[in-house]
Amino acid sequence: MSDKPDFRELVGDDLTPEESERLRRVHDLLVAAGPPPELPPHLQEPIEPEKPRDTVSYLPRRRTGLLLGLAAAIALTAFLGGYISGQRHAAPFEEEFSLPMHSTVSTSNASAVIHVGKLDSAGNWPLKVDLKNLPALPKGQFYEMFLSRGADARAASCGTFRVAEGSDEVRLNAPYNLRRFNGWIVTRENPGSGKHPVVLTT
Amino acid sequence: MPVVAADECSDGELITRSADGDRDAFEVLYRRYARPVFGLALRRLGDRGRAEDAVQETFASIWRAARSYKPERGPGAPWLYAVARNAITDRGRARAEPPTEAPEQASSEPGPAERVEASWTTWRVHRALEELSPNERTVIELAYWSGLSQSEIAEFLNIPLGTVKTRTRAALHRLSGLLEEELG
Repeated sequence: MSDKPDFRELVGDDLTPEESERLRRVHDLLVAAGPPPELPPHLQEPIEPEKPRDTVSYLPRRRTGLLLGLAAAIALTAFLGGYISGQRHAAPFEEEFSLPMHSTVSTSNASAVIHVGKLDSAGNWPLKVDLKNLPALPKGQFYEMFLSRGADARAASCGTFRVAEGSDEVRLNAPYNLRRFNGWIVTRENPGSGKHPVVLTT
Repeated sequence: MPVVAADECSDGELITRSADGDRDAFEVLYRRYARPVFGLALRRLGDRGRAEDAVQETFASIWRAARSYKPERGPGAPWLYAVARNAITDRGRARAEPPTEAPEQASSEPGPAERVEASWTTWRVHRALEELSPNERTVIELAYWSGLSQSEIAEFLNIPLGTVKTRTRAALHRLSGLLEEELG
């Protein structure tokens, strides 16, 4: 995140000047480096060395296929606009594609799956989000899901929610052109704190 | 000569052992460097899918080319960085379209030398983070990249504030030792 931690708060003020200067430089390196990305599940284990090409990620191709599928769905939706609009409230959630989310903290086992439904005629992508192990928050705090674009992690809000302990399901909405974004995040919001820690990311 | 556990080997020793077909050594290398490689690939390629491919190609290259590593020429980290950089560059060439939107103000971008320096330093920092204990790494990640204060981290992890402060300071000390070269 962009919030730079306070060096004094981190290390206290009982260090020698030399020690303080040394840790300050480590602090600056960490701030400049930014977070290392989490490995996706299929890269958690090493590749089979002799057969590297057999294990090349299928995700990019799958995403390409999904985008083509989305384009087809958009065309179909436009063609059937009125009919689909009339039916959508009665119909069950129809998934167009899904994306996994993982915790930004390596030792947390929080995760989620975003199920993206069919685009409606008004331009809404309904979202059904299955959440696992996301902690319940104190009163007044909530989670918020955003679409990210480049360095702008919170480019467009998809809604806020709270969870009970354990697993939960929430319904959100993305009234945006998804092609303009490159991922989703979930932040923990504490109004007035000025901070928006990211707890889940795609 | 006693056999040293792969976990305790230097990067150079692991590369040498990988060259002899030691899969345990290769696996330790992977655990040390997969995230730094992925981070480097993401920054260079700007696309998660292509970065994932680059990680796999990097480690396939390491396995294939480990025999070309000469310990007498230097430690393993720069060699690994060069292999990763080449694999990522190859992946970047594999598809000609620009991976991200073109910058609107090119003049504000750092020059090539600055980018190389920043990439290497970031690589080293991410590699050093892999050496921390899980407890230490967690408090660093929460403090630096989740925007939580020390008391918020204590609440989040359900541990005493003093423990958070102790772990944070210990982690920074450990990193200062691991990043000796960068700290001059």
